[in-house]
Amino acid sequence: MYNSKIRGPLIEGNKSLGQITREVVAPLETKSGRWWTVALGLSSLATIYGIYAVYITVYKGIGTWGVNNSVGWGWEIINFVWWIGIGHAGTAFSIFLLILRQRWRTSINRSAEAMTVFAVLCAAIMPALHMGRIWLAFYIFPYPNTRGPLWVNFNSPLFWDFTAITAYLLISVSFWYLGMLPDLATIRDKTISKIRKALYGFFSMGWTGSSRQWIRFESLSFILGGIAAVLVVSVHSIVSTDFAVGVEPGWHTTIFPPFFVVGAIFSGFAMVMTLMVLIRKIYRLTDYITDNHMDAIARILIFISLIMGTAYLTEIFVAWYSGNKYEMFTFFHNRITGDYKIQFWGMIACNALIPQLFWFRKMRRNWIALLSVSLLINLGMWLERYTIIVTSLSKDFLPSNWVSYTPTFIDVGVFVGTIGLFATGVLLFMRYIPMMAISELKGVVHIGSKKED
Amino acid sequence: MNRIFKIGIFDEEEKFISSIKSLQEKDFNIQDVFTPYPVHEVFHLLKRKSRLPAAAYFMGLAAILATLAFLYYTAVIDWPVVYGGKPVNSFPSFIIITIVLTILTITIGSLAVFSVRSKLLPGRDNTIFDHRATDDKFVIVVNTGKLDIPAADKAENIMKELGAIEIIDKEFENVNA
Repeated sequence: MYNSKIRGPLIEGNKSLGQITREVVAPLETKSGRWWTVALGLSSLATIYGIYAVYITVYKGIGTWGVNNSVGWGWEIINFVWWIGIGHAGTAFSIFLLILRQRWRTSINRSAEAMTVFAVLCAAIMPALHMGRIWLAFYIFPYPNTRGPLWVNFNSPLFWDFTAITAYLLISVSFWYLGMLPDLATIRDKTISKIRKALYGFFSMGWTGSSRQWIRFESLSFILGGIAAVLVVSVHSIVSTDFAVGVEPGWHTTIFPPFFVVGAIFSGFAMVMTLMVLIRKIYRLTDYITDNHMDAIARILIFISLIMGTAYLTEIFVAWYSGNKYEMFTFFHNRITGDYKIQFWGMIACNALIPQLFWFRKMRRNWIALLSVSLLINLGMWLERYTIIVTSLSKDFLPSNWVSYTPTFIDVGVFVGTIGLFATGVLLFMRYIPMMAISELKGVVHIGSKKED
Repeated sequence: MNRIFKIGIFDEEEKFISSIKSLQEKDFNIQDVFTPYPVHEVFHLLKRKSRLPAAAYFMGLAAILATLAFLYYTAVIDWPVVYGGKPVNSFPSFIIITIVLTILTITIGSLAVFSVRSKLLPGRDNTIFDHRATDDKFVIVVNTGKLDIPAADKAENIMKELGAIEIIDKEFENVNA
């Protein structure tokens, strides 16, 4: 099991169990600060812009987007892959670290899972809109129909993607909610307000903390953790096959599944970092999310960043080594130099170079550095998807097909709208659900603290 | 008939565990114990076991067979379509959907089994013996319904001696737990 003598205590400040309950529940019981209302207002505005863009898209069709015959996939697919990547935070953080018995996850997993749920929701909007006639979206379900019955193509990566994302969303929500049960019961038993008691009482489903419930709870967490760990790898591998199965130069490579999975975990961890820095600052929860926690995430980010750098170099090397002139053209004349060089070099800088700053301990302990690098990583991951999608499509085999791509006001609106939706979700989460798994924190409170030595 | 319980409240895990041990030595009927976080020693002492992993295994097995059968039926028997010159029974590309649906079935299925077996449903009103158990106290509930008063007091004394901060006598008309 976890031996933390070197790393120091998981929770600082020698807390008592009651103190943990009080401190974690405090943000839910006290009035929200003015910043919260302002932030909610801003994210609602962004969401409204998004709703407008979605309305126009559905009403007039995807001709309102910047996509055209050559660049058939634009911002919406970029954003889809980006959000799904961020959605890997939950599985990577809570499930991977759960089955690896990394107990420092306890202060962070709840927020990581919350992010997953909201990010996957945002992601799911994109391909649904991209279908064009969203009111016929049910055609993608394999159900006995009057059209034959004609079944969907089970060999198609796009259908795999649909299955994977639907499953991922359902599983993430289940796992998140399961972990929440004991904490909702804690609030139910603690609160004085009658409305809260009724509400949290309803949603805690009659949790009492009996030994019969706990053993099944633990057993179920491990079952779900164990099988959902497959999803860390499978969801984004399937997304990558959307590309890898195509014939476009720059897409048709076997490196794609691992490359995408690592990239997804990278952006997931970066988003967790962004959120944790903010939560630590705003709610002053530094005793629970300690400097050591941030340090650990930063170290993981360096490691993944090195893998990303290696993957970029491998792609370029293989393009040259294959001797395929279309691959050569895509990588050397359309990415490294050419119209999209800014996006390409931005991607290299943000994903492979800047995270190397975390080799320095000072950087890993400085919240401004942590916040800005994590934001840059997410920018870099967005640029990576841009580079992959737009460069390959805009200049393919036939020069007569070549076009350039610019997004429209509506494309931007759909993206801004999902950011607004995500932010709204996270803000509501901070307000109404305990941000950390209280019962799990109680289980690790003594680990590494002086009491046990 | 009402059911009568002696409820011992502890604020330290070690004292709570040793109380369970000596109550068991004296053959008292421990209804259940309530803790703010899972305590593994309790599971061993009260011989609690979960068969969820076995249930999950069989659900997974059923899901694999059902998915493969469904894919085979639709792609080979019902409406065979040749895509890209590949055989209609393209087993390798069925695997992905099979994996995903298996995981989904296990998740939903074991959640359902969990919620039925642990009696957890939205709005359910299980008996709360002491509301501090979800906060910071460890609670032992001894069923003293069939005992006479001196025997019940003995249970109280054991828990008191081993460091219970409070002993409560409670009666319930019926117990949901």
